[in-house]
Amino acid sequence: MRPEPAISDRYLVARARDGYLDAYEMLVQRHSAMAYRLALRLCGDHHDAQDVAQEAFVAAWQNLERFRADSSFSTWLYQIVTRRALNKVTRGRGADAVNLLDEAADPGTAPDAQAERNLAADAVTNALAALPFPQRTVIVLHHFEGLSYAEVAEVTRSSVPAVRSHLFRARRTLGKTLEDWR
Amino acid sequence: MTGSVDEPPAERQTIRLLLNSATLPCGAEMDLLFEQVADGHAAELNDHQRDCVHCQAAFGELSVLWAPVVEQAAVPVAAPPGLTEAVMRQIRQLVRDVWYTLQTTNLGFIRIAARIVAGVARDAARTVPGVRVALGRSTHGKLAALAEQATFKHRLPHAAVGVLGRTAVVDLAVAVRYGDPVQEVARNIQKQVITTLRENIGLETVTVNVNVDDVLIDDQ
Repeated sequence: MRPEPAISDRYLVARARDGYLDAYEMLVQRHSAMAYRLALRLCGDHHDAQDVAQEAFVAAWQNLERFRADSSFSTWLYQIVTRRALNKVTRGRGADAVNLLDEAADPGTAPDAQAERNLAADAVTNALAALPFPQRTVIVLHHFEGLSYAEVAEVTRSSVPAVRSHLFRARRTLGKTLEDWR
Repeated sequence: MTGSVDEPPAERQTIRLLLNSATLPCGAEMDLLFEQVADGHAAELNDHQRDCVHCQAAFGELSVLWAPVVEQAAVPVAAPPGLTEAVMRQIRQLVRDVWYTLQTTNLGFIRIAARIVAGVARDAARTVPGVRVALGRSTHGKLAALAEQATFKHRLPHAAVGVLGRTAVVDLAVAVRYGDPVQEVARNIQKQVITTLRENIGLETVTVNVNVDDVLIDDQ
């Protein structure tokens, strides 16, 4: 089959609403890494992240009619994943710390340097996991996903000043935990 | 002797002091400095910061502290294999799209799920020059509705089971390349899809509805 040409999310959402399942499949393929990555950083556990990403895509499909055309599909998906991750985390299952660097370990890196990097990754992962969920959310969305303050506010249904204030507190908390590790 | 054995090193004391301060001795707000560092703008100093040792020292400390976060954020994370398939499997179960084409042969019945027919049609449409995107769906046309009513629906009212017989009705949503003659592309799609469905699936009566609903330029 030829490689799929680029086409807008808006078009695919419209077709998915018309019942074209393969349009939705293209959306899932396009956004699955983002959904999983966000869930992983919010939940801290591979299995939970996979569940959350999967549930989020099914929930998004079931609610396509409610999706507002003036919003972007990715922002809407960020909202759903964040909400589902919160449900998962607050359900009380202990999150196993996950080391994201393990997956991308460079075989060419010297063992000492790799061990040092893994320690740093562990420190960040543990520091993130120790943050209260709202602070973790703004840190992950802004500093890991690269969303602007306005986009984070849209995802969290909050305001830019509130996002900024959460970030101020979150950075200090994260900084203190990372400082303990150094 | 400048301190007890248990006392943290001087740089740790400095960073702790920073993280617990609202402002630096120069009056600069700590949260704003940290924001500047974390957002990657530590090198963009304003007039005050260019001349202020306190701000510059704080930038140095905070940059080192924040570096592991920057590094970790840059680590690529791929979706686990099979995620898309798992999602679509779940959605297909929810759709309960159990329409089939039904053919009778000397050896028995051949049933092909309507979504497979739609998939084959879609793939055939994608081979037609000028087509940028093609999406397929099977439809419940009037004929199919009648078949459903006449066959299974009255017995299994909650399951949308029905047969299309040897007739398939397929809808294609198509985006074509800008500049290509739309009608000609659409006609070619119909011909290509009908031929493919006949040859590959053995469907004799095929209705192919082509909806050209977008035109894309090549670099879009």
